[in-house]
Amino acid sequence: MSNHDREELHKFPLRISRVETRVPSLASRIFSVWYRHYRVYTKNLISNGFPPFLEPLIFLAAIGLGLGHYVGFIEGTPYVLFLATGIIVPPAMFTAAFECSFGTFIRLEFDKVYDGMISASINVRDLFIGEILFAGTKSLFFSSAVLFVISLFGLVTSPMAILSPLVGFLTGLMFGSLSLFTTSFVNNINHFNFYFTGLLTPMFFFSGIVFPLDNLPGIVQKVAYIFPLTHSAILVRALAFNRLTWSNLLSLLYTVIFILIFATLAIFRLKKRLVK
Amino acid sequence: MSNTVINVENVNKSYGSLKAVSNLSFSVERGTCFGMLGPNGAGKTTMSKMLYGNVLRDSPERSTISVLGYDPLYNELEIKSLAGIVPQEDNLDLELSVEQNLFIYARFYGLKKKEISKRIDELLEFMELTEKKKSRIRDLSGGMKRRLIIARALINQPRLLILDEPTTGLDPQVRNLIWDKLRRLLREGVTIILTTHYMEEAFQLCDRLIIMNLGEKVMEGRPTLLVKENIEPYVLEIFNQEKPIDKGDIHDTVRVEGTESRYLLYSKSLDALKEIASRYDPGDVFIRQSNLEDLFLMTTGRELNE
Repeated sequence: MSNHDREELHKFPLRISRVETRVPSLASRIFSVWYRHYRVYTKNLISNGFPPFLEPLIFLAAIGLGLGHYVGFIEGTPYVLFLATGIIVPPAMFTAAFECSFGTFIRLEFDKVYDGMISASINVRDLFIGEILFAGTKSLFFSSAVLFVISLFGLVTSPMAILSPLVGFLTGLMFGSLSLFTTSFVNNINHFNFYFTGLLTPMFFFSGIVFPLDNLPGIVQKVAYIFPLTHSAILVRALAFNRLTWSNLLSLLYTVIFILIFATLAIFRLKKRLVK
Repeated sequence: MSNTVINVENVNKSYGSLKAVSNLSFSVERGTCFGMLGPNGAGKTTMSKMLYGNVLRDSPERSTISVLGYDPLYNELEIKSLAGIVPQEDNLDLELSVEQNLFIYARFYGLKKKEISKRIDELLEFMELTEKKKSRIRDLSGGMKRRLIIARALINQPRLLILDEPTTGLDPQVRNLIWDKLRRLLREGVTIILTTHYMEEAFQLCDRLIIMNLGEKVMEGRPTLLVKENIEPYVLEIFNQEKPIDKGDIHDTVRVEGTESRYLLYSKSLDALKEIASRYDPGDVFIRQSNLEDLFLMTTGRELNE
């Protein structure tokens, strides 16, 4: 078919106002997906926006003040300070994981939202890149909320800590990708319980958030360094205590590679599920 | 100048051992409505999804799908940016209002903020949903949701509208309203692909149609001509019969189809049917012209496909 013929076919006859339609740019497509999630999330601003601030308060009060009394110092740092800097990242992990497991599954299987979205000028890859970026954004917000709360308590000692929500963002990208990959295998929403109890909860305890990994038995320590959250914890503490070293680049590299691998696998698998 | 909006040749699609679409070919001219009719499981939805790349056809090198000059295997985004799609299942964003649903959908096409709000108002008016602009999706009736999904599919000014059972489950008022709107779009030159199992819908809207069964095309043509050429023009319906009717008393030119206590007698001769009807209680017989549904049941069989 010649270009002229094609143009003729594309002329729109309806007399209501005209709009330009052409395939939007990749960035615009990804942003439109992000924007959809953003609008749905901010629709319930109070119930979605308040808990991220409450959670660190409860955590600090219960564990920091209570347990801190017995623990005293870790690596020369008061326990409350050690813990406070650590808890910047777990909410980032959990919120991204919920968004891209239960949230994704509901959109995929129950509400059929994705079917609607990919009927517009968007493909499956745009859809899930946008979704992972939104998970990252939510994580950025959750980490910032923690940072805000701990700074109110005077638990922020270095101005570098202002960058720690960026670690939350990367943590969100990692767990968004990993959770999408997990979702691609799940046919029954209850199976996510295995993912949360079997993988994420242990990760929370064995990633150097609540206690340092140094005194763990060798094998447990090795496993802990495979966990993505361990690297988030390393990066966030390096910023919070202004102790950045070249070795932190390894954790950053780990994070980037982890995101690329799991995002690619997740998109590949979910594409098969959406486009048959 | 070419007027062919869609060209499909030798298209197949299998899921494991199930052949969903089998060696299907058809083409659609601009500004016409093309119907795909068939019972559930006939392959209508699979075929319509292949048009915009949501289902991938088998062995692409031996088949052709061209939609607005593009192959959906390679240019799905181009096709989707020029087409509007109304899926079988409602998939609106339940959390958002009517207006927000349309706004967000418009962003998927990269439309600009300024043009979107004007367009939303026009489309809500077109689908008679203006008062519902701020309503939540949960508060809409089934018919309103359907109209909203059609409005949503029009947000990018599509040249081609692909509708998968657009009026299934709706009351006659809404159905007629939707048909009116679709006719208006056809007059304006939009091309429509419609899958349905409502014969009335196909008859009302389609310029051409195919009847599909088990993934295959069994018939193709203009609805009125198909009925005229493929089935006897008159039908006598006989109800409330406890005993099977005696076929010995009926002339060979009359074709008898029977289901539980209801019989359909098809014939070219109105007089022959009148004569048979006179033997029964007038309340139990009814003579009418045969229609697309008779043809559909004749070609796709009366037994369930599921």
